[in-house]
Amino acid sequence: MTRDSRKPLGLDDVFIVDCDVHANEPPEALAPYIDMPWRRSLELLGRGPQRYLDIPGYAPILNLDPPFPDRGLGNRTVTTARQMRDDLDELSIDVGILFPDNLLKIAVFPHVDYAAALGRAYNAWLADAWVSRETGLYGAVLAVPQDPKDAADQIRTYGADDRFVAVYLPVAGLRPLWGDRMYDPIYEAAEEMGLPVMLHSVGIIHPHFPFNLEHVESRIVRHPINHEFALMANLFTMLTSGVPVRYPDLEIVFTEGGVSWVPFCMWRMDKEYAEIPTGAPFLERPPSDYIKEMYFCTQPIEEPERSRDLLTMIDLFDGRDKVIFASDWPHHDFDHPRTVLNMPFDAELKRNIMGESARRLFKLPVPVPVA
Amino acid sequence: MPRVRVGPADEIQPGQPAFVTHGEIEIAVFRVDDGFRAYRNRCPHQQGPVCTGPVSGTLVATAETDWRLAWVLEGRVLICPWHSMEFDLDSGRRLRAQSERLRAFPVDVNNGEVFVQIGPRDSSAPRRPSV
Repeated sequence: MTRDSRKPLGLDDVFIVDCDVHANEPPEALAPYIDMPWRRSLELLGRGPQRYLDIPGYAPILNLDPPFPDRGLGNRTVTTARQMRDDLDELSIDVGILFPDNLLKIAVFPHVDYAAALGRAYNAWLADAWVSRETGLYGAVLAVPQDPKDAADQIRTYGADDRFVAVYLPVAGLRPLWGDRMYDPIYEAAEEMGLPVMLHSVGIIHPHFPFNLEHVESRIVRHPINHEFALMANLFTMLTSGVPVRYPDLEIVFTEGGVSWVPFCMWRMDKEYAEIPTGAPFLERPPSDYIKEMYFCTQPIEEPERSRDLLTMIDLFDGRDKVIFASDWPHHDFDHPRTVLNMPFDAELKRNIMGESARRLFKLPVPVPVA
Repeated sequence: MPRVRVGPADEIQPGQPAFVTHGEIEIAVFRVDDGFRAYRNRCPHQQGPVCTGPVSGTLVATAETDWRLAWVLEGRVLICPWHSMEFDLDSGRRLRAQSERLRAFPVDVNNGEVFVQIGPRDSSAPRRPSV
């Protein structure tokens, strides 16, 4: 039986790849996978208070806000692969790319050996307990920025495992930004293994730009600065240090920033490049050319009053095959796939955004057609 | 127009709605002041189970409060558990976005029993346009 082409596409009519879902990793879960003395550290942390994504020494956040009455219901976690599969089934999502929860803040740790050990433990835990082609749960290898050589080793180790399809580049609290040449071993390994790198931030307060927001009262100011501003800053530095030129086969993906900031970055950087070309000597073409070759995850999808404006926005950066769906499940600002599917896009664009472009990007198996 | 029994009125307490299902439509009945309000359990934003959220108040700062923060509408604000969108339980309208509102149903009480009338959608009620 074939689908009536006159009817709008439903969730069950499309292959859905969710490029950003979060596996919750309490300290005690990683303890068996980490070396001493850090194993003892995680065991101790596991016996302490377990606030939501707010664990000193493991997921430091510097939370300066009081709890707001009746607004804490979004603190959902997914603690097992089985639970994640059930949740994604409920959302009609076929494939999920896993990111951490607590270790979204891993870039803030000054202790290099601890950070690297945490990264290794997370990757081993993911391989052992989460990723599986059968369940459609795939991993992004955590690349610890404090130790790029160790991160490169991890990428080569897990990149050979077809259950890992990307490299996760932490953004929150990062210093220096991802354009710094110190990270070259990570890009070299990711390109060699054919894994896209995926930048992902999270809401924290931290001395490093642009997270130094301890003076900002409102969370709705801090939240987009933590995400979109941080992604922009990293994108700019990656362009000026020539990451897309020096690693031409490396695919670069931005998560949890929506899409509307992309045209601004193109035009602003093109203008800067035209007037100060010595500021980006690696580039062989205008910055916008490289940005158009990058990928952008939908969540948090913009919901303009005129929803067709979103299509205009995507066309401004030739993004019809570069915008890929993400829900950010189970976080407070997750997007239901229906929200993106119901946007006024044509059927081909919907299929690309919801899953086909990501399937090609991550080289995922072709799904068996639904009868 | 189907009239669906919900249950005894005295069992519906403030902040603790009673749920009733008619076909594919799930409806929650809330006690508001001395009366009742019935809304479809579907948020106009992303269709989350809005009526399962907490009933609380909200924070405002207006000319009436001399631009000082004030906690208002305690017990009258329904908060969607998915994205924390706030709705006035009395009117069903989304706070600060009056054009969006929950789908409401008429409620009546007869001999201490609460009933909801399931009718067609009120075509004059605007919905969120983008999704």
